[in-house]
Amino acid sequence: MQLVNKPVSLIMFFLSLLLLLLVILGIGIGAVWIPPLEVLSLAGGHLDGSSAAYQGQMLSHDIIIWSIRLPRVLLGAMVGTSLSVAGAIFQGLFRNPMADPYVIGVSSGSALGAVAAILLLGSTGLRYSYSIPAFAFVCAILTIFLVYSLARTGGKVPVMTLLLAGIAVNSFLSALQSLAMFYSGDQMHQVVFWLLGGFSSRGWEYIWMFMPYALIGTVIAFIYARELNGMLIGEEQAQHLGIDVERVKIMLLTASALLVGASVSVSGLIGFVGLIIPHVVRLLIGPDHRKLLPMVALTGAIFMVGADILARTIIAPEELPVGVVTALIGGPFFIYLLRRHKTALYK
Amino acid sequence: MILDVMGVTCGYGSAAVLEDVTLKVARGEMLGIVGPNGSGKSTLLKAMSRVLPPRQGSILLQENDLYQMRPSRAAQHLAVVPQEAGLDFPFTVEAVVMMGRIPHLKRFQREGPRDREIVRAALRQTNTLELAERLVTELSGGEKQRVLIARALAQEPEVLFLDEPTSFLDLNYQIEIMELLNRLRYEQGLTVVMVVHDLNLASQYCDNLLVIKNGRIFTAGNPTQVLNEDLIREVYGCEVKVEQRHPGSRPMLVIQPFNHHRNNIHLRVHVVGGGGCCGLLFHHLQERSWEVTCGVVNIGDSDWQEAKRLGFGVVEAAPFSEISLEEDQLNRQAMLQADYIILAPIPFGIGNLPNLGAVLDMAERGAPVIVIDEGQIAQRDYTGGQAAAIYNRLLRSRVYAVPDSAQAMAVMEGDTEFARG
Repeated sequence: MQLVNKPVSLIMFFLSLLLLLLVILGIGIGAVWIPPLEVLSLAGGHLDGSSAAYQGQMLSHDIIIWSIRLPRVLLGAMVGTSLSVAGAIFQGLFRNPMADPYVIGVSSGSALGAVAAILLLGSTGLRYSYSIPAFAFVCAILTIFLVYSLARTGGKVPVMTLLLAGIAVNSFLSALQSLAMFYSGDQMHQVVFWLLGGFSSRGWEYIWMFMPYALIGTVIAFIYARELNGMLIGEEQAQHLGIDVERVKIMLLTASALLVGASVSVSGLIGFVGLIIPHVVRLLIGPDHRKLLPMVALTGAIFMVGADILARTIIAPEELPVGVVTALIGGPFFIYLLRRHKTALYK
Repeated sequence: MILDVMGVTCGYGSAAVLEDVTLKVARGEMLGIVGPNGSGKSTLLKAMSRVLPPRQGSILLQENDLYQMRPSRAAQHLAVVPQEAGLDFPFTVEAVVMMGRIPHLKRFQREGPRDREIVRAALRQTNTLELAERLVTELSGGEKQRVLIARALAQEPEVLFLDEPTSFLDLNYQIEIMELLNRLRYEQGLTVVMVVHDLNLASQYCDNLLVIKNGRIFTAGNPTQVLNEDLIREVYGCEVKVEQRHPGSRPMLVIQPFNHHRNNIHLRVHVVGGGGCCGLLFHHLQERSWEVTCGVVNIGDSDWQEAKRLGFGVVEAAPFSEISLEEDQLNRQAMLQADYIILAPIPFGIGNLPNLGAVLDMAERGAPVIVIDEGQIAQRDYTGGQAAAIYNRLLRSRVYAVPDSAQAMAVMEGDTEFARG
């Protein structure tokens, strides 16, 4: 199943290059086309101080890049990373290559929290305040612990009961979310559009409210990579290897709640990324999380920046919600993987 | 004592699977936990390996409470080879064995040359070095089992727990694994505690056996003390034979398939014996508790002694004297009453020649006679040819000629079709 035997550092280097190219391309694309070389020279101006002398078209392009395009592309990359890493955590923790933030209800929990925040704070003008991801995170973690305690039997959390509890909680939360939207009145259009998922007109304030959560979540995941390997071979065997299984679960579930809560707060519901990226990367380099997680982080960013570029170009000058693009790419690709690896998955 | 289990009660949910279990394991001991399915063997192993906290009682590892220790610290002392592999993700064999180093590594510490050396040694010991680069998902059950043992050894434990380590293995690997454990125990003083299904394997390799029944210790001790027919009947509810090949050797369980003939028949058998050649035949007959007579044998002869001891009817002659006419008559009467007459491969002299004559008479009259014929009658003929002549005539008449006493039993029980005469 391991398709690539090249050193991981080499692959990482090429993936980083690819990400850089996509970011430059992503900055260039839009209502005003800014060629990649101009993007580079304008950015360079900020380094040597010559940007102060920008005038006319150069100045307007610089403003477009700096205050509109760059934050949007960076946010896309970071959300891609966060959702993919969260997916990798769930898949490892539940020993199920099909597990994902949506399956166990964390995304619905986050979305409900974010919707509540938007509806409650919308009229007070605090809509884009830092409290949205906090609401989403709190609801995500409440959801996880609700699902977790529902699934817990005799001191253990079997995979099957966890997934079932996830499905049950998921449908209940979706219903609550629909109810909230029903009473949201004239804000409904906004909420629906936000839920479809996307990065349009997301400025730096979104990055600042997203970063702390995502950073902490990612760092925790990387710290527990070795334990995650142990969990992958079974909870009891992980215990035999001296891993404090319950603590690892709590830390990693908290990390994934941070990642999913922050992502959903800034960009709504973007599906399939958390499912498909870790799955594909695992097929390529094997299941060792110490290599898998960094690669998943990078690949998730690439995927999301690419998907955002597509979302902006397919029906330009109109813009598709990026969640629609990821689902259109991810769905069929996932079905293809499912068919191709059916025997390996159900063995 | 390396492990001290004191009054432990534990289980899952509300039901107690183990009740009030107390035992001690000495350093370097190989302890086998045996008992029927569902008796609590694996539960005891879980409790002792820090997976299932006891509800009552405590478990001490070298005088420290096992469940108060940090998990990683406990895993430096204890390693477990689980029954189910659970290796569903495509790690390489080496990566899985390297996981055995986790308890020894600090959080941000990477595996060093010493860890790699330990892993290679573990791979070598378990004969899995050539599998090192393979993916565990591609291995057979036996190979996975050996990889799990390698991983446990990479933990450098003092106590190794195994849950039925040989249940999926071919005979050669079963022996290989048990020999490996035995060697580790002698060379490194490893303490081994394992749940075993195969009582013979347990008997051959374990110093002590712990017999669990219904969540309680039924008995414990070395295999010779523990394994006997009564215990198997009480604990497992079945009949087996427990044999020792020679005094001092470990007991062996021999399974005896239920024989429908054997259970319904009751025979009367007359054995023409003497000279101590009936031992095994007598043993077989006595097992069936049939009615057995023997004659004519000289008083003091070893067959005479054995027949007396077993309570058989004996037609006896004075020591070292010829068979008298009266004794011959008694012998023939016993033969007439028997369902089968068996002639053992005895030496013939003038003294016991009437025995051979009597058997020939019976055979020629059509009585069922079984001759245990080891061939070479000339070598046990001390009458100058007389006995051989009668014997050969006997073989030509309608008798069952069989090579040994087991076949003689088979003839009588109708197990095999032996041509008569």
